[in-house]
Amino acid sequence: MFSLRGCGRWMALSLTKQNLSLVRLSSDSAAPCTPHFDVVVIGGGHAGSEAAAAAARCGSRTLLLTHRVDTIGQMSCNPSFGGIGKGHLMREVDALDGLCSRVCDQSGVHYKVLNKCKGPAVWGLRAQIDRKLYKQNMQEEILNTPLLTVQEGAVEDLILTEPEPEHMGKCRVCGVVLMDGSTVHAESVILTTGTFLRGLVVIGLEMHPAGRLGDQPSIGLAQTLEKLGFVVGRLKTGTPPRIAKESIDFSILNKHTPDNPSVPFSFMNETVWIKPEDQLSCYLTHTNPRVDEIVLENLHLNHHIKETTRGPRYCPSIESKVLRFPNRQHQVWLEPEGLDSNLIYPQGLSVTLPAELQEKMITCIRGLEKAKIIQPGYGVQYDYLDPRQITPSLETHLVQRLFFAGQINGTTGYEEAAAQGVVAGINASLRVRRKPPFVISRTEGYIGVLIDDLTTQGTSEPYRMFTSRAEFRLSLRPDNADSRLTFRGYKEAGCVSQPRYERASLMKASLEEGLSVLKSIEFSSSQWKALIPEASISLSRNQRLSALDVLKYEQVDMELLAKAIPEPLKKYTDCRELAQRLKIEATYESALFYQQQEIKQVQQDEALQLPEDLDYLTLRDVSLSDEVREKLHFSRPQTIGAASRIPGVTPAAIVNLLRFVKTQQKRAVKAELLQTDQCLCDADKLEERQL
Amino acid sequence: MRSGLRTLAARAARGLRRLCARPASGAPAARAGSGATVFALSSGQGRCGVAVIRTSGPASGAALRSLTAPRALPPARRASLRLLSDPRSGEPLDRALVLWFPGPQSFTGEDCAEFHVHGGTAVVSGVLEALGRVPGLRPAEAGEFTRQAFAHGKLSLTEVEGLADLIHAETEAQRRQALRQLDGELGHLCHGWAETLTQALAHVEAYIDFGEDDNLEEGVLERADSQVQRLQAALSAHLQDARRGQRLRSGAHVVVAGPPNAGKSSLVNLLSRKPVSIVSPEPGTTRDVLETPVDLGGFPALLSDTAGLREGVGPVEQEGVRRARDRLEQADLLLAVLDASDLASPSSRDFLDTVVAPLGARDPREGGQRLLLVLNKRDLLAPGTPPAALPAALPAPLLLSCLTGQGLDTLLAALRTELAALCGDPGAGPPLLTRARHRHHLQACLDALRRARGSSDLALAAEALRAARAHLGHLAGGGGPEELLDVIFRDFCIGK
Repeated sequence: MFSLRGCGRWMALSLTKQNLSLVRLSSDSAAPCTPHFDVVVIGGGHAGSEAAAAAARCGSRTLLLTHRVDTIGQMSCNPSFGGIGKGHLMREVDALDGLCSRVCDQSGVHYKVLNKCKGPAVWGLRAQIDRKLYKQNMQEEILNTPLLTVQEGAVEDLILTEPEPEHMGKCRVCGVVLMDGSTVHAESVILTTGTFLRGLVVIGLEMHPAGRLGDQPSIGLAQTLEKLGFVVGRLKTGTPPRIAKESIDFSILNKHTPDNPSVPFSFMNETVWIKPEDQLSCYLTHTNPRVDEIVLENLHLNHHIKETTRGPRYCPSIESKVLRFPNRQHQVWLEPEGLDSNLIYPQGLSVTLPAELQEKMITCIRGLEKAKIIQPGYGVQYDYLDPRQITPSLETHLVQRLFFAGQINGTTGYEEAAAQGVVAGINASLRVRRKPPFVISRTEGYIGVLIDDLTTQGTSEPYRMFTSRAEFRLSLRPDNADSRLTFRGYKEAGCVSQPRYERASLMKASLEEGLSVLKSIEFSSSQWKALIPEASISLSRNQRLSALDVLKYEQVDMELLAKAIPEPLKKYTDCRELAQRLKIEATYESALFYQQQEIKQVQQDEALQLPEDLDYLTLRDVSLSDEVREKLHFSRPQTIGAASRIPGVTPAAIVNLLRFVKTQQKRAVKAELLQTDQCLCDADKLEERQL
Repeated sequence: MRSGLRTLAARAARGLRRLCARPASGAPAARAGSGATVFALSSGQGRCGVAVIRTSGPASGAALRSLTAPRALPPARRASLRLLSDPRSGEPLDRALVLWFPGPQSFTGEDCAEFHVHGGTAVVSGVLEALGRVPGLRPAEAGEFTRQAFAHGKLSLTEVEGLADLIHAETEAQRRQALRQLDGELGHLCHGWAETLTQALAHVEAYIDFGEDDNLEEGVLERADSQVQRLQAALSAHLQDARRGQRLRSGAHVVVAGPPNAGKSSLVNLLSRKPVSIVSPEPGTTRDVLETPVDLGGFPALLSDTAGLREGVGPVEQEGVRRARDRLEQADLLLAVLDASDLASPSSRDFLDTVVAPLGARDPREGGQRLLLVLNKRDLLAPGTPPAALPAALPAPLLLSCLTGQGLDTLLAALRTELAALCGDPGAGPPLLTRARHRHHLQACLDALRRARGSSDLALAAEALRAARAHLGHLAGGGGPEELLDVIFRDFCIGK
């Protein structure tokens, strides 16, 4: 069932010569039998792949350790990427030159933008993905990444050493021990073990330890983390059965076709790999009262549901849907798993009933009367680490240079995992180079919202991204992720390639130019009315309107404007993306003006750093209640802004903290002056001596 | 750093909600400046000939000009006599001294204006309301003036040490003030509005996040829209109605409480110099809360007589006890009255343990309620014998006889000290300002609702609803993203 193939043995998996030579170089320079890497990533799931690739892009010699190389890029749950909120995350991962968006543009079988009629701020890019292609393309990306080495092996333990005195943390990680006893030295370690920490797969009343069906869990590592003092929680998730395609009667079901043209995920792509007419369709069916009956009659055979582990507020399984919203039809989406796959994924039917009952339940659904289950649905229970124990750069408070990313932090979803992976990879690399961390604020991206929520609030249910979590939703749009993150990624982290940087720069310049040209064109409202009769411009307005004002009207787009005023607007319609982005900027311009002020205010609070070595429990100069001390001690906010978002930290406590920080700053300045004086004195003495 | 603190403070006063509290919409003046401009009544609540209203922030000059139109700004830092009039109706408000302090040479370091108006309630509230209508101006949050001063380096760090206490105290005072305002009909209205709007917003958010994948029932948006429409109508009706004058319960709230038959009603009658409450030797005579405005040593106060606190009596008296406890929550100053000759009785002991002791242990400087412990019926004690010893942790009691009037002078002196402390703090959310704030946020909420309904882009509409909910949040609290998600997952079956 589980292959230990290659465990602890070096695998020449890297396809490029350059990479191979680097591996050799690194083993030459380190101790003969202990290989040495800048960054070691444990786990080859969505977080791990992105983390390893990001660290390597940043210039770190990186090792990706995974149970099995052939599971890299495996989509172990739904066969789709993106969606509302999640699509936003993917655009941001792409803006930082991450992998998943580009791989999805090469592997999708059904591309569709959700929320197309609700405003561009909440468009949700999504695609059904061919599992096999995704895995194949992802593995090719990973194995072709310069500076990145992949090795199969299970990690049993971490090697720890004395902490660096200038940072907090009780020890520092400096390597890992594999199952076969061999060791790897590392400057930074990223843990992306997903559901493998004491993972338990549940079908009906059967339970067996496994990270996912067919893969063994990590127990040694879980024990190590607990011994180190990490606070561990338990979450559960589930996946539906897979159904044989030919056993479904699609002819009686609602067919849903993909978009034409397809919108790619990546800023680097004009189009996707497959033509709309070659793409596959999805089908919609519904549950019925008979499904409710089967679920309710068999609750006693359902260990996953009987468990009292606090479940999420939303309904991940058909059981919770039936229990919480009885007597309703629930949607079931039948999604293709790939071009040549005979499997259909019934989205919405996550179930942990015993396998034979799953078949019984499924066959009472319309279109599925003769459905054959190829693999039953199952539940997974696993350990996660309270994410309030990590910093916004995803480094743990307890162990220096140890980073966590993905489901281990209590999130769910490929996109959430990928987003954390990129951030962890960048920061693990920056840490090795002793550069300041790369932190994304909640004003800059959904990635920032995700990490800020996790690190200040923690989570008690698998955390999933929604656009309602983002207070600056109008600014954090899928269309502008590049202007929010690509430049920072290029300059501060070095994780962005030159071509991407140039492309983003060009787009930025064109946008700015386009907006100023639009602002400069002015006519009276009656003149505009004559130029563009389609627009519902009200004539009562006496003032002159700019072309930008007119572009705000729902009926107006750049094409229409350029038709009315070809010179100088024609050239801005040549690039479809540019024309669309100009329209979006116009739509939100006035609302964004107010949002910008608020964003600035939040950023100012975030510029107020709290010293990282502050011991809140014993701090004497600040009057804080014990409760607030406990909370600050646990979450260790890095800025006044983050502290103010921790539930239970009072306004008065914030002001006290602020005063403390100000006093400290003053003291620091004084000390520096003193030191300079001292230096000057020393210099004088030196001169004397020389004389 | 500078305005960071200001926003922080503003956020602090809002109770750290994460969801968007933004400036009033369509405020062109806000475009010019960097931050908000705030106003507040800066003089105390005591009876006074002149009241001082202050503004601070970039729109101060505009505010001063618009109230003193058509005249130009007065010379800097020189008192000038001007006619103040309502910028919208042109209706004259008062002839007043105005001062113009361009920043940074001002108390807060920003542009400031001061209006010294005649101290009557009508004038003060008229000017406050007129200021509230100047674009870019909003009522100050607790401690905001001091915080602005701090942010602009106008206060030393030692002066700032008191700032956290001040914020805490003012927040507490405002909370009590809001509680009073929200008590009764207006409160029910506000909470009802907030609940409706939360639901409408949550449903719109659900439609955005889950409308495509999960089966929300038909007509979610239409229902939300009709809810918003009804809310719009309710709010504008309320705002028009409130213009005709809403009774102000001005002054410090002094609540007389204690076990039954301790002489609370006698004390109320004595202090108000009129028979407000029926007095009888029978315990449980007072069953409802009786309030009367009084003037105590020059300070306006609202005196409330409450039912004696005891358990296990009839339903009517039980209700009276419940109301008494509610009123205790809202008190600025509690007059705890006990029978000096009956301190060992269960009802006295219970009152001392559950009401007096917890309050006595708190520091009034932190904005907690103030307390005076009165032992009535000293005439029943044999001359020269002290009353039974009280636990050491309690504040020193004042001995009084409502029957003979003995000890009344001492009590009045003590009352004066307490009220001076209470009313002397101008920032402590006086009712006039509370009311201006109330109107300001309701109006801003209404504007945002209008924008929401007029927007064809759903993301923009939701944004306006968030802003509207944030404004109601200032009055009724709540509305954060977690609360919205709770509503979403309660009302809809959202799958994975």
